[in-house]
Amino acid sequence: MRGTHNESDAVDHRPPLILGGPSFHDVTEAVASPLERPPTRGWWLYFLPSVGLLGLLGVAVGWLFFEGVGVWGLNNPVGWAFDITNFVFWVGIGHAGTLISAILFLFRQKWRTSINRSAEAMTIFAVMCALIFPGIHVGRPWVAYWMAPVPNQMGMWPQFRSPLMWDVFAVSIYGTVSALFWYVGMIPDLATVRDRAHGRRRMIFAVLALGWRGSMRHWHHYEKAYLILAGLATPLVLSVHSIVSMDFATSQLPGWHTTIFPPYFVAGAIFSGFAMVVTLMVITRRAFGLEHVITMKHFDYMAKIMLVTGMMVGYAYALEFFIAWYSGSAYELFAFKNRAFGPYAWAYWTMVSCNVLLPQLFWFKKVRSSLTWLFALSIFVNIGMWFERFVIIVTSLHRDFLPANWFMFTPTFWDVATMLGSFGLFFTMFCLFVRFLPIVATAEVKSVLPQAAAHARTAPRVELEDADALPSASRLARAEAE
Amino acid sequence: MALLRPRLPPSERFGALAEFATPAALYRACEGVRDAGYTRWDAHAPFPVHGLDRAMGLRASRLPWISLVLALGGAATGMGLQGWVSAIAYPLVISGKPYFSWPAFVPVTFELAVLGGALGAVFGMLALNQLPTLYHPLFGSARFERASDDGFFISIESWDPRFDAERTVELLRRLGATEVELVAS
Amino acid sequence: MSGPSHDPAVPAAELRASALWLPAGHPWRRLPGIGLAMAAAGLGGSLAFGLADPAARTQLWHSWLVGALFVLSVALGGLFFVLLQHATQAGWSVVVRRLAEHAMATLPFLALLFVPLLFGLGDLFHWSHADAVAGDPLLTHKRPYLNVPFFVLRTAAYFAVWSALAIWFGRQSRLQDRSGEHETTRRLRRASAPGLLLFALTVTFAAFDWLMSLDPHWYSTIFGVYFFSGSTVGILAFLSLVAIAARRAGLLSEVISAEHLHDLGKLLFAFVAFWAYIGFSQFFLVWYGNLPEETGFFAVRLSGSWRAASILLAVGHFVVPFFFLLPRTIKRHEGALAAASGWLLLMHLLDLHWLVMPNLHAAGISLGLLDGAALIGSVGAFLAAFGWSLRRSALVPIGDPRLPESLLFENP
Repeated sequence: MRGTHNESDAVDHRPPLILGGPSFHDVTEAVASPLERPPTRGWWLYFLPSVGLLGLLGVAVGWLFFEGVGVWGLNNPVGWAFDITNFVFWVGIGHAGTLISAILFLFRQKWRTSINRSAEAMTIFAVMCALIFPGIHVGRPWVAYWMAPVPNQMGMWPQFRSPLMWDVFAVSIYGTVSALFWYVGMIPDLATVRDRAHGRRRMIFAVLALGWRGSMRHWHHYEKAYLILAGLATPLVLSVHSIVSMDFATSQLPGWHTTIFPPYFVAGAIFSGFAMVVTLMVITRRAFGLEHVITMKHFDYMAKIMLVTGMMVGYAYALEFFIAWYSGSAYELFAFKNRAFGPYAWAYWTMVSCNVLLPQLFWFKKVRSSLTWLFALSIFVNIGMWFERFVIIVTSLHRDFLPANWFMFTPTFWDVATMLGSFGLFFTMFCLFVRFLPIVATAEVKSVLPQAAAHARTAPRVELEDADALPSASRLARAEAE
Repeated sequence: MALLRPRLPPSERFGALAEFATPAALYRACEGVRDAGYTRWDAHAPFPVHGLDRAMGLRASRLPWISLVLALGGAATGMGLQGWVSAIAYPLVISGKPYFSWPAFVPVTFELAVLGGALGAVFGMLALNQLPTLYHPLFGSARFERASDDGFFISIESWDPRFDAERTVELLRRLGATEVELVAS
Repeated sequence: MSGPSHDPAVPAAELRASALWLPAGHPWRRLPGIGLAMAAAGLGGSLAFGLADPAARTQLWHSWLVGALFVLSVALGGLFFVLLQHATQAGWSVVVRRLAEHAMATLPFLALLFVPLLFGLGDLFHWSHADAVAGDPLLTHKRPYLNVPFFVLRTAAYFAVWSALAIWFGRQSRLQDRSGEHETTRRLRRASAPGLLLFALTVTFAAFDWLMSLDPHWYSTIFGVYFFSGSTVGILAFLSLVAIAARRAGLLSEVISAEHLHDLGKLLFAFVAFWAYIGFSQFFLVWYGNLPEETGFFAVRLSGSWRAASILLAVGHFVVPFFFLLPRTIKRHEGALAAASGWLLLMHLLDLHWLVMPNLHAAGISLGLLDGAALIGSVGAFLAAFGWSLRRSALVPIGDPRLPESLLFENP
């Protein structure tokens, strides 16, 4: 009864998003019942290694605080490398969640309802991972509070003309608003879980659900709040990664200072974020038996979005290269030659293959319909996007204006350990999320089922008349002349 | 926001609770209850049924205004804070830019505007909905649990001037309710 | 079979295709004639005045460029709108898509508008003078790209690509009017993706060629995106105006509803914000980096009376329309949306003027007869081609399988 393919190419009606014609109760059951059972062995298989990596993160950060930033491979001139690469990488991944929640909501894309809850959760966890890096890389983390604009005994205030200050506000506000959006969206689903629960579990969910009782008067304000949050989160997504890009673009370094960075970074963020959503959803839908809710059609759309944003990234690469030549600036042109043919060329070509070449496979329906290809390509895209940030940061720093100042960056064990550890944080949080909270926006999915419509209208019949009955230009002109 | 119980006048009975089979049935019934002149009533559904606020005669929500005011407040705070810090409290000459470098203040100003708007939307919504309200008489009905699963309900409070135990129940049955019960307070 | 329903929320039970053509004797049938008259007067007049002496000639070509780019950007916006609606398989927009198709149908004709400009290359572009290039190492470096033959070839290529796309997509849509074939919709969807790719590349380099190289020492990687963003504001404003005018003129009143206007209004709002985002990104990064090779562009535009123009652009193209288009009721109100659209078209013109004219009038704004004449002429040419296209097919894509969905469309 449950098909897993809904890719009928019909154009006069919209194919069903949720397969198998489930009832409202079926949807509740599908999402809420895994939460009521003890976790499966598969869950432990993901959770325990993630916690292990999280432990590694703890050790790496602890050692960093104890010994200092010298445990990383940073030097003069390469003052930023893995730390900021990871920061931008994680912030970028978070953006897909907001795009799915907010922007696709504004575009009335109903297919988002199957994945938006998990994507929003992914955003929050990605932002958590992102915020670690600026915090720990400052060298004197015990005075990180100096960045807060609060009166203090030194009469000192932050320097607001620095993009690093803007990052503090942008990323923390992004985390806050994303968390609010995620939580508010979850309230009705928490009520659903509450009403099925017993004892202490019921009390916890009752408090979290704030006493929600499905009141239409409440839904009325709730829907407005959701729309406003979506309308605010959209420019927020654009602004946050633009501000992150300004960490580089406001400088004067060749390869960094170029006006296209803001939209280019945003496109890249959405690209890598969707790749991560695909990676997570391929596993999650199988683990929770939700293949009829997160269908191949959903992957088809996500693959197409990846294709579009990947091409935007490719467009930016091409333009940067063209303008580097066009500008006539020897430094700018050298920066790009160095990327493609210098000592980090291996990183550059990995980036180009993973971000520009491989995603071209998404033109093919066969690739978009294959879970294996989707999973593999999503991982390659994220590898490529990690390398993009690495290439941008390190190649511009390690060889800038003065050849006497040129040097190489080599990562140390602790660079890599911190990076891997951040994945541990991310996957640990995600495992906890799928264990305890409803991973699909149940109320929203119910509202896009066909039986949710309260009043149907019939469309007018459009009569396509004979060619003879239709006025042609000449016939009308003749009629006018008579 | 009434944290534990809603603010209702003391009474024996809360009102009538009617269940309906489908969203369409609920929609038609809401129009009926609205047209019958009831004011203290509500509909309940596991998701917002499209068009139901019109069927109930609800006025447009004031939430956008709350959000806008707080957003503008956030923007003003952003520009004001940065301007004061950079031009008055702790002026620093940074790469030759003027003290009040308004272009450089745009990012933080924008972010604070968004934060203001978001806080306005969320807490404004909670305030307008008087949430959290952890207890409500309707939770006393066993059937009402389905409101968050697949049930569609109308509840009419006994404090409504037109409420009458028999006539209200009869109206709800006429409007297509599959079950009607009287809920204690 | 029932007659037209007067309740906009309830569409008619049946629509006959013949009712969706421009009726015989309707005033809009005269658009091509009116447009040609405007073009003759405006362009003819400009040529007459402009070719008189060298100073006037330089002014002529700059004014002509602004006028031509104004209508070209709207036509290109139409092409983008059509490609995008096909790529995203949108349902709501079917009732307005044909109007955008008519806008893009003008593209082959606008090529003719650019032909006279080829005679003005010497007056417009510093890099077209061999002696100037010889004495300037930067221009010498750019010569493989900035030379007249390659420039002309590129312009021809852009128009060839745009015309091919406009003609093919328009024709497929018109064929579907007769056939109602579903496969056409699929074909258009599949073709729209490569179409968008070609669009992005050609529009970017056209903007570099015709606008950015006016100051050949300056460069900005985001410039193509900036031109695109203004062009999209232009088409959305134009579509809103035409849709509202069509309703007022007794056409399409049962077809285009407040719901569709609301969506056009939402898109207009969004792209006004997008334009501001791109424009600010460009300005801000140049301001912050403070590199002499980049700041010249803004230094000119922030001195003299250009400063006031820049402020007007920021306030009039962004701040005011942003707050004006924010409320839901405004976007659904014909008069308000029409006023906003008209204003934004004016602001888009100011944007193009602001991009071009400081190269000629560095001291400050200097508006003259030639500006007006060239604008009237260009708009006339556009209206003539638009009006011609309007007459030869139905006003909505009546064979589109998603037309019923579009007719029933309701904003939540």
